[in-house]
Amino acid sequence: MVDLEVKVARVQAENDRLRRTLADFSERVVCGRLTGDLPDNFLEQFSQLPDRPLEQVLRFLPARQVVQMRHVSRRFNHLIRKSSKTMPKMKRDGIVVFRSNKAGELIVGWFNYRNKKIAEATLADHGIALSELLRFIHIGGRMHFSDGFSATDEVLNQLSIAWLTIRPEVLVFSGDLSHTSRDSLKAFFVKVEPFVTQIQFQGACNIADSLLSDDVIGAAGQLDGLMITSVSSGSELPNLNIGDDTLLSMVDAGDVSSYFLVMDCSSITPGGIRAFVEKWMKKERPQLDANYSGFRGLLEACDLAFYKCANVTPATVEEACGDLLEEGTMAESYVGFGGGKKVERVQYIIQCPSSNCRLGIVFSDYLFNCYCKYEPMLEDEIDDYYDDHDLDDLDPEIEHDDFDA
Amino acid sequence: MIQLCSNDDPPVSFTVPRKAVELSKTIKTMLEDLEGFDMEQTPIPLPNVDAPTLELIVKWVEQHQDDPPPVEKPRVEDDDSDDSDADDDQEPEVVIPEWDKKFLPTDDEQKNQLFKLLNAANYLEIKPLLDIGCKYVADKISGQTVEWVRDYLNMENDYTPEEEAKLKEEIAWAEGL
Repeated sequence: MVDLEVKVARVQAENDRLRRTLADFSERVVCGRLTGDLPDNFLEQFSQLPDRPLEQVLRFLPARQVVQMRHVSRRFNHLIRKSSKTMPKMKRDGIVVFRSNKAGELIVGWFNYRNKKIAEATLADHGIALSELLRFIHIGGRMHFSDGFSATDEVLNQLSIAWLTIRPEVLVFSGDLSHTSRDSLKAFFVKVEPFVTQIQFQGACNIADSLLSDDVIGAAGQLDGLMITSVSSGSELPNLNIGDDTLLSMVDAGDVSSYFLVMDCSSITPGGIRAFVEKWMKKERPQLDANYSGFRGLLEACDLAFYKCANVTPATVEEACGDLLEEGTMAESYVGFGGGKKVERVQYIIQCPSSNCRLGIVFSDYLFNCYCKYEPMLEDEIDDYYDDHDLDDLDPEIEHDDFDA
Repeated sequence: MIQLCSNDDPPVSFTVPRKAVELSKTIKTMLEDLEGFDMEQTPIPLPNVDAPTLELIVKWVEQHQDDPPPVEKPRVEDDDSDDSDADDDQEPEVVIPEWDKKFLPTDDEQKNQLFKLLNAANYLEIKPLLDIGCKYVADKISGQTVEWVRDYLNMENDYTPEEEAKLKEEIAWAEGL
């Protein structure tokens, strides 16, 4: 009812406006002649396009040129800044690498999923330039915060406040995080929460004691993968406040594969692992047809690795959830040579052939390498054959996603 | 039939089938609003459109009067909220039909006529005409330098040298895109 009244009022107002307009026209027409003063800029607009057509023209231009067109005149600049919100964006759904160089400049590189460089921008003044860039480009796919101070508060804040959607699925932090605070990291995770499924701190250095905790990681929502590891197995991470809450939240991860690989996490307890295993085994899964003898679909695999985690050792895990691990579990002692020294690898595996899934728990660092996501080289030449228009065609693997929905 | 009058002195009037003239949303709304008046007898003055431009408009709407109506897409304007889909709608591909290609005043000396036409299409809210005209202008501008565009669009560089230098720095990053 209220809606209708509002609608009626609006139509009424529009009617009044039109009546006035027509009356205005009619007044000016005397004996079939137009009289009275001409509106402001009346003659000018014959040689210049008004804002709306100009805006429409801009929508048809590539982002690079739209940015350069800011140079044309103040009016054009103003119009571009005003309308950049609604303008089509350059789509970048491959890999985006943020890196800072010695001069303190932020370098942003875009790559396709085959690690071919598509474009690169060097931002001297992070604050202004990054916010400018975010007006024109979609960021999707995988984001690397790489060498140097690449994930500083300034950068993360710009990404968080950008009005356009940043939709990375994978975040990889491997730079210097000493200029990164809890608040800005958390705000960034909140921003990308609907899209991000995997977060990896691989070889990031100078992580502050309080930076990584359950609530910060939790801000990123449901994850399928989390990895926290230092540069080399020799160096140590600070005390990480990542505990059983984060571990347990991953039980409901995607139904294809998931991983939780951490080192130096003393807050993880054997009790937490038991709770995880119990929940994981009871997790509802699509029932496989018992009579179906063909391809059984994808194996659901879940890997847990606890390396140098004070409270989690083969012995404590055995003690806490030995009964769960008993059946179908292999406690395998593997002796091999790693870097010249003898390493012992203990792992537990739980297989559920009926529902086609497998859970593995290991206590060494060998899985970290398997899950590491390597960034493409920024030094590559830009691949000229690879422009915007080809992006969708050449990368069918991103088609199935809802980027275009 | 509906009569449209140009802003010339004396005005030039054109008689157009109602169906054709209704391609202009502005006029369509006006006619709907004035239902009951005998609009066949009342010429509609168009104070923003001169005779040569109105002639083009009339030619275009008559040619396109039987086109299927364009699919309306609600456009979110000035929406500050972080709507995950608001920035997602890519502009649909606009293809200029053959007839329109010949129709558009595309010679360089007719540039101002083209702008007048787009002005009128904007004012009269004839979106398909505005779209193909803007697409034409965009294709023309595409890949050109700032100076060229300034000249083409009859725009003046009203920046101070300092402002210009600052802006140059500000947009330097776009080179690598």
